[in-house]
Amino acid sequence: MAGLLEKLKGLLGREQEPVVEQAGLAEEFKARYLSFRQLLAANNKALELMSELEAAAGGGRVFGMSFLRSRITALGVSVFQMTDLLGRLGPGKYPALAPRLKQIQSQLETIAAPAEAGGGDELVLPLAAIDQRRAEEAGAKMANLGEMMNRLGLKVPPGFVITAAAWRLLLGGGGLEQEISRRQQAADLENAAELFTLSSQLRQLIVDTPIPPELSQTLAKAYAELAAEAGGQVRVSLRSSALGEDSAEASFAGQYSTQLNVHPEFLEQTYKEVAASFYSPQAMHYRLVRGLRDDQLAMAVGCLAMVGGVSGGVAYTVSPLDPADRRVQLTAAWGLPRVVVDGEAVGDHFVISREEPLRVVSRTVENKQSELVCHDDDGICRLELTGERATQPCLSQEQALEVARAALKLEEYYGGPQDVEWAYDRQQRLVMLQCRPLRPAEAKAAAPAPQGEPGSPEPLIHGGVTASPGAGAGPVHWVRRDSDALTFAPGAVLALPRPAPRWAALVGKAAAVVSSRGGAAGHLATVCREYGVPALFGLGPELEALEQGHEVTVDAGARAVYAGRLDELLQRQGKRPAFMNGSPVHQLLSRSLELISPLTLLDPDSNEFQPDNARTLHDITRFCHEKSVKEMFSFGKEHHFPQRSSKQLFYKVPMQWWVLNLDDGFTQEIKGKYVKLEEIACLPMLAVWEGMVAIPWAGPPAAGGRGLASVLFEATANPSLTTGVKTRYAQRNYFMVARHFMNLQSRFGFHFCAVEALAGERRRENYISFSFKGGAADAARRLGRVRFIGGIMEDQGFRVESTEDNLNARLERNEQETTLEALKAVGYLLMHTRQLDIIMDNPRAVALYQDKIRADLELVRSGQAPGQKAAQPS
Amino acid sequence: MTAKPEISVLLVDDEESYREALARRLSRRGLNVAQEADGEAALARLGAEAPDVVLLDVKMPGLDGLEVLRRIKKARPLTEVILLTGHAHLETSITGLERGAFDYLLKPVPLEELVEKIHDAWEKKSVQERKIRAVQADGVKP
Repeated sequence: MAGLLEKLKGLLGREQEPVVEQAGLAEEFKARYLSFRQLLAANNKALELMSELEAAAGGGRVFGMSFLRSRITALGVSVFQMTDLLGRLGPGKYPALAPRLKQIQSQLETIAAPAEAGGGDELVLPLAAIDQRRAEEAGAKMANLGEMMNRLGLKVPPGFVITAAAWRLLLGGGGLEQEISRRQQAADLENAAELFTLSSQLRQLIVDTPIPPELSQTLAKAYAELAAEAGGQVRVSLRSSALGEDSAEASFAGQYSTQLNVHPEFLEQTYKEVAASFYSPQAMHYRLVRGLRDDQLAMAVGCLAMVGGVSGGVAYTVSPLDPADRRVQLTAAWGLPRVVVDGEAVGDHFVISREEPLRVVSRTVENKQSELVCHDDDGICRLELTGERATQPCLSQEQALEVARAALKLEEYYGGPQDVEWAYDRQQRLVMLQCRPLRPAEAKAAAPAPQGEPGSPEPLIHGGVTASPGAGAGPVHWVRRDSDALTFAPGAVLALPRPAPRWAALVGKAAAVVSSRGGAAGHLATVCREYGVPALFGLGPELEALEQGHEVTVDAGARAVYAGRLDELLQRQGKRPAFMNGSPVHQLLSRSLELISPLTLLDPDSNEFQPDNARTLHDITRFCHEKSVKEMFSFGKEHHFPQRSSKQLFYKVPMQWWVLNLDDGFTQEIKGKYVKLEEIACLPMLAVWEGMVAIPWAGPPAAGGRGLASVLFEATANPSLTTGVKTRYAQRNYFMVARHFMNLQSRFGFHFCAVEALAGERRRENYISFSFKGGAADAARRLGRVRFIGGIMEDQGFRVESTEDNLNARLERNEQETTLEALKAVGYLLMHTRQLDIIMDNPRAVALYQDKIRADLELVRSGQAPGQKAAQPS
Repeated sequence: MTAKPEISVLLVDDEESYREALARRLSRRGLNVAQEADGEAALARLGAEAPDVVLLDVKMPGLDGLEVLRRIKKARPLTEVILLTGHAHLETSITGLERGAFDYLLKPVPLEELVEKIHDAWEKKSVQERKIRAVQADGVKP
């Protein structure tokens, strides 16, 4: 009994070589085949994940941190499984493998680890104590405001900042942060419906979280001090001030919420709402496409005494549409500046020359319909404008110059164009509310308005304000409410009644944006310019005539909308900026890929092919795959287990091919030395064989003028014709088979080639991998052949990679039928391409054979070639 | 593959709506599904029953999924455990595999894929069991 226990232990443990007898040996063999299959499945998964990551790095898609984390984790799991399974196939043989993998994994972890929170731990900071150096705690917007007040002596509202440390305290309690990351992982943020749903859930989570008592007390104290300073029970504005917001790299214009005229009773609740706008759909989408890391960002909130303004607006120190136009642009409205910021109104427009003495060079006064003012108790309300005020300019000449001067002061101080929000309070004092770097649209060659050209179409609509230059075309998609946003399809023209910032999440996917109202100064206009999406705003009620789903071309530069698609006009447009490149997430992916994808363990025959020399996860997978195949080959032999040793293939005559049955690859148990073709039950092998014998070689006569097949089989049987061969295993042509699986290793003359395939019922797991190397010809001809075969494989739907004279081609996730068809093509290529060296330096012959091979392949795949009937097993 | 094995699955997840829905869908695929809301309850059940496969959430209140895994593998080494988690964490995943988990899957897993994984885990368990029986048979031969 003790002996039995020892045996059991040996089986279950991984270090000991199991000592088993006949029945046990058969079962052990089955268990090994299962491990081998699992290893291959893990290998495929790993390769797929690697190519997915490489595609992402290549700019093929937009991705965020949760994408990276989940793919890198899944990849780590697959590679670990491979090493573990190889340990079962060859117990104790690869001791260096696991430690090496651990090293690579821990390097990867260091790269992808969540960022350490920077900054101090104070929950609240008074504005008077803040400048740029505290941006890590106060966020960029409030740091700028502090800077204006403390360094430049500009007037700003008194107030304080609820810091990033407070945000972390809010989220850290009750595991909120983990819950948020878990939900994000499951969502596809490129899908508008999922984005909006997730955003609403996350914001609800935050709003529902109780404020920690420590934060609550600190807030109350800070507010009491502010009220004392401002004299009485002041209302406040709560302004988002995210870390990383408003930096020169990323504008975040209007991504987050601002609440005006908040009654102190609602301070805590409103703080949570503003903080929760970190997860607004537009902010989440923006971070995603800009490659910003959520864990490196945080939400601070400014709490400022409310300025009940007479008038206010936005100043740009250069033209946002044309950086060469260096005149200051002011847009102003009566009441709170919000109507301008939200892009609701075009506003009065002032252009001011920057040379001293400053002067107003042009002024456009709009007929203003309404203004936003503070409600007596809480919040803001809209008042209709009637009479004189509607048509009066809302700034005097002097005021316009005063604003321009302050804006230029900021530009000089920060060393670049600025976008400034300001207001005049009831005492007619200029108060600065925020400033951030202005990112003008990239200069584009202005497309000449085509209506001047003969034969060009009449625009449907002409007019409006260019909010972002360029042209785009697509079906019209009206978005008037949230539910309309859910069905927004990429490539559509986004049509809006007014350019509210909340639609920013859709801008990145739109071909162009048009709006009835608004001008160039709103947040959405800024976002359009940053995304490089053409935008034409302020088109008026005429825009309503655009019908949902009808295709239009928007030429924002020429301020025209045309029916249909004007390709000529569109072709004049440059490419959109590559958003992700250089972003934090993209950088992180690039650094991770250095440890993931390069293949440096290339030659299994070399002494360098050791776990210690593995530099990347790809190396580890390559090593495990190679060794697992060897382990499967050698088992039957090492254990003197004749039923599980290889059999020589008998097809009319004994062939120089050996077949090793892994499980259910033969129709019956084979006792003798030979296996007949009709005893093969392996579908992939039969498909390859069918392809090999389908069409006789019709190229230049092979040596001695005999039939190709005989030469082929002779050559592979004659060791003197092969060079650089070290092991007996490598000298022969082997099939390892099961019913749905095949691994073929072969040296055809001087060419080494391997084919591995799974063609079963699970489409997702099916694959063919084909690799090809070497040859006796000179390097140029070898490379020529790799290119030639690569081209043909690509035609057949394979994904091809080649390095030097190595070729690797893969085909994945096809139905069984399609996979087997492709294997016939592989069989054909195995037989026919080995002769190609002969013709490789003759381009005319190459072209000729290319055509012949393509035609042959069509026959072979459809089973129409002459040799195919004969090859069918009875 | 053998025709329609009766596979018993124990689903352990604290998120009730997710667990209920998944249990229903897996049952429709012909699996014999039991469920528990936390690690203690799961371990108590494993004292009396031996499911083929356990689907185990990693983050749960009370006993942590990795600890539950360790105890399951100790009490029932042949039962296969698939970790199912919403948190992509490399180190946790490797620890899980080192403790003998069959696989570590990130939610959401397409149902098709999950069912296939359960079948794979079951296959591994049956092969292991057959192997042990065969060794026993060889061992008791004179």
